[in-house]
Amino acid sequence: MKTEHAIHSGKHQRKHKKEFINVNNAERLISLAAGGMLLAKHYKHPLANPIKVLTGAFLVYRGLSGNCPLYTGLDKNSNETNAINTRVIFTVNKPREEVYRYWRQLENLPFFMSHLQRVEQKNDVESEWIARIPGGVGIIKWNAEIVKEIPNELIGWQSIENSTINNAGKVEFYDAPRGQGTVLKVIFSYHPPAGALGEGVAKLFNPLFKTILKEDIRAFKQVIEAGEVATIKGQPSGRK
Amino acid sequence: MKALCWNGVRDLRVERVPDPEILNPKDAIVKVTMSSVCGSDLHLINGFVPSMKAGDIIGHEFIGEVVETGAGVKNLKKGDRVVVISVIGCGECQYCKEETWSLCDNSNPNGLLQEKIYQYPTAGIFGYSHLFGGYAGSHAEYIRVPFADHGAFKIPEDISDEKAVFVSDGVPTGYMAAEMAAVKPGDIVAVWGAGGVGQMAMQCAYAMGAERVIAIDRLDYRLANAARYSGADIINYEDTDVLEELKEATGGRGPDCCIDAVGMEAHTTGIEHVYDKTKQFLRLESDRAAVLRQAIAACRKGGTVSIVGVYAGLVDKIPMGLFMNKGLTIRGGQMHGQKYVPMLFDLIRREIINPEFLLTHPVSLEAGQKAYEMFNDKTNKCMRAVFKPFN
Ligand SMILES: NC(=O)c1ccc[n+]([C@@H]2O[C@H](COP(=O)([O-])OP(=O)(O)OC[C@H]3O[C@@H](n4cnc5c(N)ncnc54)[C@H](O)[C@@H]3O)[C@@H](O)[C@H]2O)c1
Ligand SMILES: [Zn+2]
Ligand SMILES: [Zn+2]
Repeated sequence: MKTEHAIHSGKHQRKHKKEFINVNNAERLISLAAGGMLLAKHYKHPLANPIKVLTGAFLVYRGLSGNCPLYTGLDKNSNETNAINTRVIFTVNKPREEVYRYWRQLENLPFFMSHLQRVEQKNDVESEWIARIPGGVGIIKWNAEIVKEIPNELIGWQSIENSTINNAGKVEFYDAPRGQGTVLKVIFSYHPPAGALGEGVAKLFNPLFKTILKEDIRAFKQVIEAGEVATIKGQPSGRK
Repeated sequence: MKALCWNGVRDLRVERVPDPEILNPKDAIVKVTMSSVCGSDLHLINGFVPSMKAGDIIGHEFIGEVVETGAGVKNLKKGDRVVVISVIGCGECQYCKEETWSLCDNSNPNGLLQEKIYQYPTAGIFGYSHLFGGYAGSHAEYIRVPFADHGAFKIPEDISDEKAVFVSDGVPTGYMAAEMAAVKPGDIVAVWGAGGVGQMAMQCAYAMGAERVIAIDRLDYRLANAARYSGADIINYEDTDVLEELKEATGGRGPDCCIDAVGMEAHTTGIEHVYDKTKQFLRLESDRAAVLRQAIAACRKGGTVSIVGVYAGLVDKIPMGLFMNKGLTIRGGQMHGQKYVPMLFDLIRREIINPEFLLTHPVSLEAGQKAYEMFNDKTNKCMRAVFKPFN
């Protein structure tokens, strides 16, 4: 887990909140995602891991309602925090221009980002994103804009203020040594809740978030190099 | 279809399972005509490779007939008689492009799981645990072959099924063992393990110009085969001191090249075996490295130790001082079959190598459990049992 300084400022803090919504939007999505995943993973044998199931149910509730009873109790507000960045570095065996072009075509992202359903580019800068919440709890939509772009070198984006969820990210592209393709540095950023409780929750999310990101990045590499993502889903086995 | 499934340690059963389907554009479906047992399966069956799940179809050394191809398959068509390499390579990543196919970046769907242990994910392998992708294996009537253009090779008409089946795994492993051992004309090569892999290494060592090959095992019938089919001098390690014997055989210098074709379930006599078995049982050491230790000790100064016998995790008491001060080179790896196939067909056609004698027991899938017991216990002079799912 890597915690670094925000790659964007405090711009994500919403100015007005309804009183009962004390969980910010990025956090809501992550609550939903984490909760949904925990539930999906453990619902088959709920008794085997009651804590995880309860945590899952709680996170889903918190994400859907925007209300965290724990925060209310503690009189904490999670909107004033530094962003947590998740970083992944990897190499793909294709020229930098090609890799950049593929990534810049945001409509391509759902081919490898497992939870994205669709990205629609509205114009050069703005786009609409639709994601499935892991565990089949529902879908979520937000708008993002490209905030920085250097062709073949860098793309930076950020969700639009007051959109359903707040997140930001950046991809840098470098030539790999000896002409062996392109090195990509991907950073994703979101706001964890404040305080000790928030840190605990962030600790729960972060590995999960990093795993999802790493899976997605591996899938990106497979798509652009091999043209398909290796899978065994749907193959036969003797399992009943 | 019928398939031989792993259900737990030393528990194999034939089950009815759904037929495989094309899941990706570069897949093909192959009707399996022959599928061989391999020493690597024993590590799964005996429980030394983690991440097996009850119901997994095992088997990875096979030939068959293409019955269906995905939209992205260009070089194969229905009816082709093919040998399929046991490791799966995408053909496009840096490693595949460099012909190091078993290091493929993209063919292991469980790459992240494997990365946790090995730091970097390696290629998927058919029927060889979820760490290596969880792909359904070949001891079945049909199998799905991903990246089929790269992994499935048409078998030349003048090469029989009985020879071709071992080009899937055993023959290229032997070839790569000799190649990693850097065998040069005039070398003396010692090979531990006179199984299918070891004997292919012996034959390939001669093909590279070795002056003399010495086979080390304890099973007389295998040593006899090594002498007869692979032209080796033989040492039975139960009858004699292997290190002394090797010195004797090399004018006191030691072999130039030492090949470990045994791996993590090495058997030894005496106190060392008790030590390793106990540690392995207590999970203090995952692999028993008796052969590797002996190979490092036996090797001449400046020589090369080549490891194709499989290790999965940690070993103990590796004589680093000997390795370092004798200036040895040690190499190892899962084989890069795709790189060698055309050349191996050629060597087989010219009868420079011949794997046919490995097929000692053609059997049905139903005989799976019994066949593996025989192969594991080395009874009935078994070299390899080969399943014919449709007989
Ligand atoms: N690297 C690869 O790509 C690759 C591919 C296939 C097989 N393998 C590995 O190669 C090894 C051999 O495979 P196989 O099919 O020939 O297996 P096998 O079981 O038929 O043969 C192993 C032989 O080693 C002998 N042996 C055991 N302990 C010994 C010792 N201390 N000294 C000398 N010989 C000893 C056994 O008696 C047996 O004859 C296995 O570890 C297998 O997993 C590796
Ligand atoms: Zn094998
Ligand atoms: Zn590859």
